[in-house]
Amino acid sequence: MSTIAMSRRNFLKGAGIATGGLVFSVALPANALVEKGIMKSSENELNAFIHLAENGDTTIYCGRCEMGQGISTALPSAVADEMEADWQRVVVKQGDADKKYGPQSTGGSASIRIMYQPMREAGAKVKAMLITAAAKVWNTSEGNCYAKSHFVFNKSNQQKLSYGELASLAKNSPIPTKVTLKKKSDFTYIGTKLARHDQDEVVVGKRIYGVDTKVPGLQYAAIVHCPVLGGKLKSLDKSDAMKVKGVSDIVEIPRFDVPFGSIGGVAVVADNSWTAQQAVKKLVIEWDLGKNAVYNTTEYKKQLVTNVEKQATLASERGDITHAFSTAEHSVKATYTGGHLSHSPMEPNASVVWVQKDSCEVWASTQSPVDIQKVLGQYLKREPSDIIVHVAMAGGAFGRKFKCDYVHEAAVISEKTGTPIQLIWSREEDMRTGYYHSINAQHIEASMDKQGNVTGWLHRAAFPSIATLFDPSLVRSPAQSLDDISNHLFGIDNMRVESGDAIAHTRIGWYRAVYAIFYGFAFATFADELANKAGKDHLTFVNQLFDNNKNTNQAEDIKRAKAVLALVADKSAWHNRKSLPKNQGVGLAVHYSFQSFVAMAVHVEVDGDDIKVLNVDAAIDCGQVLNIDGATAQMEGAVVMGMSLSLSTEITFKDGAVVNSSFHDYPVMRIGDMPNVRVHIVDSDKSPTGLGEPGVAPFAPALSNAVFAASGKRYRDLPFKPLYT
Amino acid sequence: MDNTIIINGKNHNIDVDGDMPLLWFLRDRLAFTGTKFGCGSGLCGACTVHVNGQAVRSCVTPMNSVVSKKITTIEGLSENGDHPLQQAWLNNNVPQCGYCQAGQIMNAASLLATNPSPTDQDIDTAMQGNICRCGTYQRIKKAISEAADTLAKEV
Repeated sequence: MSTIAMSRRNFLKGAGIATGGLVFSVALPANALVEKGIMKSSENELNAFIHLAENGDTTIYCGRCEMGQGISTALPSAVADEMEADWQRVVVKQGDADKKYGPQSTGGSASIRIMYQPMREAGAKVKAMLITAAAKVWNTSEGNCYAKSHFVFNKSNQQKLSYGELASLAKNSPIPTKVTLKKKSDFTYIGTKLARHDQDEVVVGKRIYGVDTKVPGLQYAAIVHCPVLGGKLKSLDKSDAMKVKGVSDIVEIPRFDVPFGSIGGVAVVADNSWTAQQAVKKLVIEWDLGKNAVYNTTEYKKQLVTNVEKQATLASERGDITHAFSTAEHSVKATYTGGHLSHSPMEPNASVVWVQKDSCEVWASTQSPVDIQKVLGQYLKREPSDIIVHVAMAGGAFGRKFKCDYVHEAAVISEKTGTPIQLIWSREEDMRTGYYHSINAQHIEASMDKQGNVTGWLHRAAFPSIATLFDPSLVRSPAQSLDDISNHLFGIDNMRVESGDAIAHTRIGWYRAVYAIFYGFAFATFADELANKAGKDHLTFVNQLFDNNKNTNQAEDIKRAKAVLALVADKSAWHNRKSLPKNQGVGLAVHYSFQSFVAMAVHVEVDGDDIKVLNVDAAIDCGQVLNIDGATAQMEGAVVMGMSLSLSTEITFKDGAVVNSSFHDYPVMRIGDMPNVRVHIVDSDKSPTGLGEPGVAPFAPALSNAVFAASGKRYRDLPFKPLYT
Repeated sequence: MDNTIIINGKNHNIDVDGDMPLLWFLRDRLAFTGTKFGCGSGLCGACTVHVNGQAVRSCVTPMNSVVSKKITTIEGLSENGDHPLQQAWLNNNVPQCGYCQAGQIMNAASLLATNPSPTDQDIDTAMQGNICRCGTYQRIKKAISEAADTLAKEV
């Protein structure tokens, strides 16, 4: 293996490329350590995740994609812990697309949930193999040996052998079928505060992202897309663009009508990205916009509201809400809405693709290398496994880079030019050609008895579903997309859930926290409205709602949800809220999503329409935390994303096309609005669950509840104050 | 006529169209990829570098405006990656995805050069043009204050 890697390196050197500041860690995944001089001796691949060199240097591969959520620190640190490796001797590498790493599509806050156990086992197995090797050397039993911090020790005489010395011997040790994992009390790294493994590279500008990929013979492309989903090219005059110095080709990219294929556009190829971007502006294009040119979000949102304020299609039902409503002491109803959102990671969509007769190689910021293999395989009519995908560090993703339309486009261009193509989308194209968080409306009606117990709950939701990516004929969200309503932890015996009509006119995609954004908003805001009606405070009322849930399958979940809510109440100004200045308030919300529990207490000051968030307390129970610092960072980031979507960001469409274009009219939150965020983590032995998304959901309702407490004004629409519509 | 530019202490010939923004000269011509493309319109700060010590948005700075000027990029901010800001960034584990952080650090370095002990309000004002979509603002603020303290002790 190292021979192949060396020859590839020499090839690049021979091509005169590995000099002058060009960096190749993306292009040379297997070899970078040797190149850096870190790993002098040959590597021993002990299993898919662990390579051990004869000098003891250890490479741990992360198969899950890194986009800033810290997974490539968290999971490898768990491997190192079980392996009894010294973290200082570990280099983490991103695995290419390869089945040996297990599932690699990174979304749904699933990485830790599904890979914690297998990756720990991989570490424990290597430890066992090293112990077996040492026992053989010492001619003693394995039970007489133990491993600690990159050494195996002989209990009888305290002799020790380093992992490096044992590396090649361990390779021949039998692979154990069963291993015992460490107890929590024995953890070295799991549950501690670890720095990101690559942050020293980040602060000197040496971390290589997908957009930074350089390969020999690279050409650069820019693209303009059809502004409306389903439209196509009517006429193209490329003469002015072709005249731009440095432009070598113009490529029409027809819509590829498979999930995650290109929406269709025209690309310019040049000898640098800027020239390509300039020439794109000189293309004279007429589009046949097609049937979605009717899409206007202002009218559409009104239509969604209409659709949830009348009877809709039954999704699920339990008990008898008719009886509950007819015998109610109080009844309350409210309608909530939310707009489309663009992920807008700081790194726009970017990849390098090189299609050759016998090969196709991809370097991409991606959340789902398997989908790249699938889509490019479909397009090129090749086996997916023949598409080589190097997974690059993504400069943010938030769900956008699960979809590989931008990689497919680079492949179309490369197929035509025969050269490696780097396609970088402009910010404007990134914002206007998205897979948007779903526009939505929900209507809830609830009945209560004299004691403020909720007796009936009618919940209608209308939003174009992500399922429309795979079945565009859907006229409303399928019942299972509303399961999070009927499975909510509130104790509601009589409940009816209905799905309102909502045809998709644009591409809908997973956006950090997905449907939990609007479900969390509606449930926890409406609970506050009910509490107000019942004359109770939010904490008391919601605890009562939880206590009314007699479903024993949810008992443990309810306990955990209540605990995080109590924790933020205790840590925030909640209990002192009555002594706050008159225009200040504290709002609470708790939401269970992606199998993690997050509560927030938001403390605001309100002056007219001006909302200033002062403090946010966030409490999380995600089972065993892997990296306390990483978990804390995810909550801080969730607050920022929650603030953007609550207060300022919305994608609007007019005549089928996105109106917004960049950060002036999609004003994501900036530093001046940053509140003081305090994160409180519940110590737990339970199986770990993810945190990339669950923190986003409770912020908006906690904010709405806080503003109501401070001012009496109730916000039911996300964003509260769209600045540009 | 001089047609060179000094980047991180080294002379480079400007062999591109004078309208080309400095960002793309750095990235595509010299493969200094530490400076990032974020928006191309000076709205996000990801491309921040120093021109004669001042923070500028390299995506909207044409090459013909920087002839014979001294450019510092993130790769050249310090010889050993140990500028007080870089150290403070590490102490506070600031980066999440890290993509915006070169621009954040370069902008903060320019702030500290003119205002060695900024208040929280000064930091907010100076850093308002640098977007972090991951949401690391709280740590950025802390790291800048910490670096300012370090610099004060060095004097």
